Amino acid sequence: MTLEAIAAIIASGLVSGSLYALMASGLSLVWGTLRMFNFAHGVLVMIGAYSGWYISDRGGLAKVLQPLGKKITKNSEDWGLMGDILYPLGEWILSIKSGFGLGIGVPLAIVFCGIAGYVIYVLLVKPFVGKPNADLIVIITTIAGASFIQNGVQVIFGPRYKKLDRILEGRPLEVLDTAIGLQEVLIIVLTPVTLLLLHFFLKLSKLGLAIRAVAQNDDFARLVGINVNQIYPQTFVVSSMLAGLAGLMLGGLFFILPTMGSEPLLRAFVVVVFGGLGSLPGTIVGSYVIGLIEQSSAYVFSLYWAPVVLFATLILVLIFRPRGLMGGKES
Amino acid sequence: MIRFFDANKKLLAAAGIVIFLAIPLVVDNKLLIHLAILGMLYAIVASNWDLTLGYAGVFNFAHLAFFGIGAYTSGIITVKLGISPWLGIPCGAAAAALASIIVSIPAIRLRGIYVALLTFACSQLVLLLLLSQPLITGGQQGLTGVPQLQIGDYLFRESEFAHFYLVGALLLCSTIFLRRLVTSDFGLSLIALRDFEEYAVARGIPLARQRLLAFLYSSIFPGLAGGVYAHFLIVASPDIFGFSLVTLLLSMVLVGGVATIYGPVVIGVVMIFVSELMASSETMSELFGISSGPVRFMFVAVLIVLTMRFFPQGVWGLIKEYAARSRASNQAGDDTRT
Repeated sequence: MTLEAIAAIIASGLVSGSLYALMASGLSLVWGTLRMFNFAHGVLVMIGAYSGWYISDRGGLAKVLQPLGKKITKNSEDWGLMGDILYPLGEWILSIKSGFGLGIGVPLAIVFCGIAGYVIYVLLVKPFVGKPNADLIVIITTIAGASFIQNGVQVIFGPRYKKLDRILEGRPLEVLDTAIGLQEVLIIVLTPVTLLLLHFFLKLSKLGLAIRAVAQNDDFARLVGINVNQIYPQTFVVSSMLAGLAGLMLGGLFFILPTMGSEPLLRAFVVVVFGGLGSLPGTIVGSYVIGLIEQSSAYVFSLYWAPVVLFATLILVLIFRPRGLMGGKES
Repeated sequence: MIRFFDANKKLLAAAGIVIFLAIPLVVDNKLLIHLAILGMLYAIVASNWDLTLGYAGVFNFAHLAFFGIGAYTSGIITVKLGISPWLGIPCGAAAAALASIIVSIPAIRLRGIYVALLTFACSQLVLLLLLSQPLITGGQQGLTGVPQLQIGDYLFRESEFAHFYLVGALLLCSTIFLRRLVTSDFGLSLIALRDFEEYAVARGIPLARQRLLAFLYSSIFPGLAGGVYAHFLIVASPDIFGFSLVTLLLSMVLVGGVATIYGPVVIGVVMIFVSELMASSETMSELFGISSGPVRFMFVAVLIVLTMRFFPQGVWGLIKEYAARSRASNQAGDDTRT
């Protein structure tokens, strides 16, 4: 194996590892506090990508608004005072013909993902909290929800592929004679920063502390006055926003499709089992390990055999360490 | 009414079979018969899923993989090796059974959520493996040119009769098999393990063996059904592993009623009719101005969530409750009379 090959494997392993880390940490967070597994997590990734595209791209919201803008600017003279007020609005709408851009699209998409996560929580998770077998029921309801949203997006946006603009354009970076795209570099750099922020959020902020308290022992969390029923949806929202961020990154690398979330979700499952459910450090380490294993086996064997190697690893882990490599004992 | 049903079970079963045999003679609509065949095939898969999901309480998400393995195995060996489909279908079932053992060995060591994750990953892995070998499996397009079933010179696809009776017989066998299984000591031990694992184990029920057997038994008929499915549609497509079909079959089990066997059988057929007619109906596309293919899956998804929320015992569970209540009130009526 040449040095360039190793550098390429590490780079692509870090990219996929980063994406898995963003997804899996959200899954792990929700598992930690609610003891539930969100099968709609992949769909949230997809929502992140689609909403980012819809807001930022010229073919999305901007295109839908154009007729409205034309109507306002054309008819504003007949509307008197109202027209004077609306005229700048119409002009502004016409001026954003090429979309709102990623600067607005990315933050709005993340917020939108948070809202979507909240809706999923209220409709699919909340009614079953505290019931027997709730964890298994929620798997079913979130699968159903995922199917609903996936097919709904197909209906709304149609089957045509979409692509997000790259956040960073320009010449690829040369590391050890290997070209790495700037978008990839951004992902590799941004993910640890995000995870570090998540770490500080959990360690220092009031909400973060409450989330961890609920994760450790929700009865005692109640005793010290934490409103557990409020922490659940908040955790869900945080996790959904992480998924949305992953979706925005994924959307810049590959095509945006209604089913784009399923494959990363499968990898995220592997990761959380590998790293141990509910253990954030385990999940993050697991993500990068899985990413690197996947990419190196894709190089050594072939692209097709990479998932097989991945799965063999997973089975071995499950047989010998059912709680994951870094997961604690079941309480 | 309940009393009448109780008294004449055998008669009713015989009448049911006669009516069933008469259906293709009376119904002169190819589409409806076609849908009935599909519905019965899915009913086989769904009712067998009920064995692991409902009775054993194991969250087995690899169940559709058994169906898919049956379809692909039978398809591949008939296309590539030129073997008769009548041999291919049992081979498909054998492959499905083998797969069920392989999946269950790690799965029975785990609990709750981990089982769901493992089995889900297993079924995705089977899909990835199939997609990775386009020369053998046809890749994304699916395996085409699967030969149809025939006896002598009679080709099954010339009319839908033969498939209808074949699949009907398969469904009947599968249902009898499952009902016998769940009312046997084996079935009771599965229920015991599900409801109170520690106690059941303490009473000497071998947990691992029973769960493995549950996986194995639940895979045989879906394997057969998969084979028939491939020869019926003369194609084996990777859509079998898709999210949408999993949701559809899950809805059959849940809406029909978990741990009932009859529920998924009946609702399985009904659900196919409802969802396929929705997909093909003109009114849907006129009303919303969209293709109604995805809409039916949205409908199914809503149905699942509503079932879980408002009547988790499912349709068959509701019927059973009603029957039990009216039996109890009959009993009370008899007591006051004597």
